[in-house]
Amino acid sequence: MNRRSSSEVMIESRDLAVGYGEKTVLAALNIQIQAGQFISLLGPNGAGKTTLLKTLARLLSPRQGTIFLDGKALQFFRQEELARVLAVVLTEQVSPGLFSAFEFVSLGRYPHTGFLGTLQKRDRQAIQTSFSLVHAEDLAPRQLNTLSDGERQKVFVARALAQDPRVILLDEPTLHLDLKHRMEVMSILQRLCREKGITVVASLHDVDIAAKISDQVALVKNGAIIAWGPPEEVLQEETVSALYDFQGASFNQRLGSIEFRSNGNKGSVFVVAGMASGVILYRLLSKRGFSIVTGILPANDLDYYVARSLGAECIVEAPMTEISPQAFEQASKLLAAADGVIDAGFPVGNLNRKNLRLLDLAQEQGKPLFTLRTDIDAPGFRPSADDQRIRCQTEMHLLEKLGSSLKER
Amino acid sequence: MAINVMIGSVSIPLVDLLGIISQRVTESTSGFIVWKIRLPRAIAAVLGGSFLAISGLLLQVFFRNPIVGPFILGISSGATLMVAVVMLSTLSLGMPALNPFFSTLAALMGAYGAMILILTIATRVRSGVTLLITGLMLGYLCHALTSVLVAFAEREKIKGFVLWQLGSFAGFKWLEIGILFLAGGVILIAVYGLSKPLNAFLLGEEYASTMGVNIRLFRFLILLCACALAGMVTAVAGPVAFVGLAVPHMARLCFATSDNRVLVPGTILLGGTITSLCDLVARWLFSPVELPISAITAFFGAPMVISLLMKRRTFL
Repeated sequence: MNRRSSSEVMIESRDLAVGYGEKTVLAALNIQIQAGQFISLLGPNGAGKTTLLKTLARLLSPRQGTIFLDGKALQFFRQEELARVLAVVLTEQVSPGLFSAFEFVSLGRYPHTGFLGTLQKRDRQAIQTSFSLVHAEDLAPRQLNTLSDGERQKVFVARALAQDPRVILLDEPTLHLDLKHRMEVMSILQRLCREKGITVVASLHDVDIAAKISDQVALVKNGAIIAWGPPEEVLQEETVSALYDFQGASFNQRLGSIEFRSNGNKGSVFVVAGMASGVILYRLLSKRGFSIVTGILPANDLDYYVARSLGAECIVEAPMTEISPQAFEQASKLLAAADGVIDAGFPVGNLNRKNLRLLDLAQEQGKPLFTLRTDIDAPGFRPSADDQRIRCQTEMHLLEKLGSSLKER
Repeated sequence: MAINVMIGSVSIPLVDLLGIISQRVTESTSGFIVWKIRLPRAIAAVLGGSFLAISGLLLQVFFRNPIVGPFILGISSGATLMVAVVMLSTLSLGMPALNPFFSTLAALMGAYGAMILILTIATRVRSGVTLLITGLMLGYLCHALTSVLVAFAEREKIKGFVLWQLGSFAGFKWLEIGILFLAGGVILIAVYGLSKPLNAFLLGEEYASTMGVNIRLFRFLILLCACALAGMVTAVAGPVAFVGLAVPHMARLCFATSDNRVLVPGTILLGGTITSLCDLVARWLFSPVELPISAITAFFGAPMVISLLMKRRTFL
């Protein structure tokens, strides 16, 4: 957890315990955050992410320990001095009333303006810059209460930026936002980090987004930071599942996304796939409640990562090797137990030619065989005498036929 | 205000009025009415109205609650209780007749007693809502005690007390106005100075704090100014209802902003004007019978607040 680095340390905590009232939420925190980094706090609701952020912003006093901001203990900052270094965006919905977005953002100049808060030329420039950083110049004249959630959030980030801070703390900045604005806000934050060198600490819910944007992630659970480090190291499948107590879903690091598992009560399907031909099919089958067996896949195939995340049983062969008799043996056993077989239309080459043999096997055993193959009559795919393959144009189409076929049996 | 001085049981034309004021005529009947009755009353209505309105504005911003008025924290209840003690109980024994100055003093003590209590509590509790509820409870307590006093009081004393409770800007002496003007004026200037942190407070205490507002200090200052103004008016005019609640909303609508640097002066002007008007209506509607000012302010204020809240056209 305590990694020294040559670059400047912006936020540091020593033996910090945070909480509110009599309750300690997180304890023994020794954090170091380098200037200009993007830090994501991940963890389930109620883990203490908000409490930690509020303590860092001095809205709550630490139960124990000390926080250093830019080398100076947090409690020694004067209020306005602190506001010039650190700004926040909270989840709390505030409706400050009849303000235009410009007036609202100008409130952020508080620590820089005089007694009555009159805006100087320099303040106006800072406000303009804040608006352009969040791509919201057009929102400036609008009334605050006419903005959509996404626009509002951008204006709130602009208000924080108007404080000209070196650190921004954000509590769930993408909450309640649609996908477009979620991406937009995140890319704005990332740009603040990269281009303006602002240190960003945000609590996030989207593991996948956090993994792709953050320099460091902190996993907060059970009263402690259970892991801290670059997402590439920290966000393993097991860690993420444990963090959120995932049941029926899993996070795949290579895919950078979460897959949902099915209970598989609709029957089992053997999918012959490979080279990413099965991805859409797997997700669809899983969503509709089929249990999936798939093979024979090279161990580095995209199909394999998705299928495994979905909890499918996979028959795997080492990459760039021809399918071994052992793998084929295993596959044909599992195929015999399946209710139906699907040919995902995988490209055939020398290494996976045995997969075609699996399909023949299915026909010989009288399994319903569905195929997505479009070049089905092309030379090389020798049609057997009694071709009973059910041809389907799309995955949706296939699922329909599969559903009715399995129901009849 | 000029109209306010002109109209009454004895109407005085504008020309005469100007003459009376400019030449400081005090001997004639009209002169007496203007200098001793109408003018002090008109000025008192303007001052009282603006003070109450500002007090309401401060508390609405502070609590971020549009239906808060200056008396929400028990200021008027404290004053009422003390006045009840003086007017209804036998504490006035030994005094041949009840001195009106005595009830003013009692109201002042009551109002500022409640204020000191509230400020003491405010330094202890963090949450604004807790403070708000504490204030409300304090009000109920005082009310309870007052009603006990009313139950035991003699009948003829009760009418006087009820009338006091409805408030009036009548019977002001120039001395009282002078004190009101000076003390209140100082506070109003202070409030204008507070408008920058007040704007920050619009975002809630947490945002205000992270923008550089010293919450403890300004929380104390805002409450102090609000309570001092409300207490001052209550002491001399009784608890005048609704001005403090409705005028800040009207100001927000009039000036179409929540920026307190505009609202503070705006509210002062509107508060004075509207209270003058209400006082005029109170005196003139059923002349020579004079209605209590609270009846008029509430009569106009209540429907207005209701419609504002229904339409949600005003925000804090």
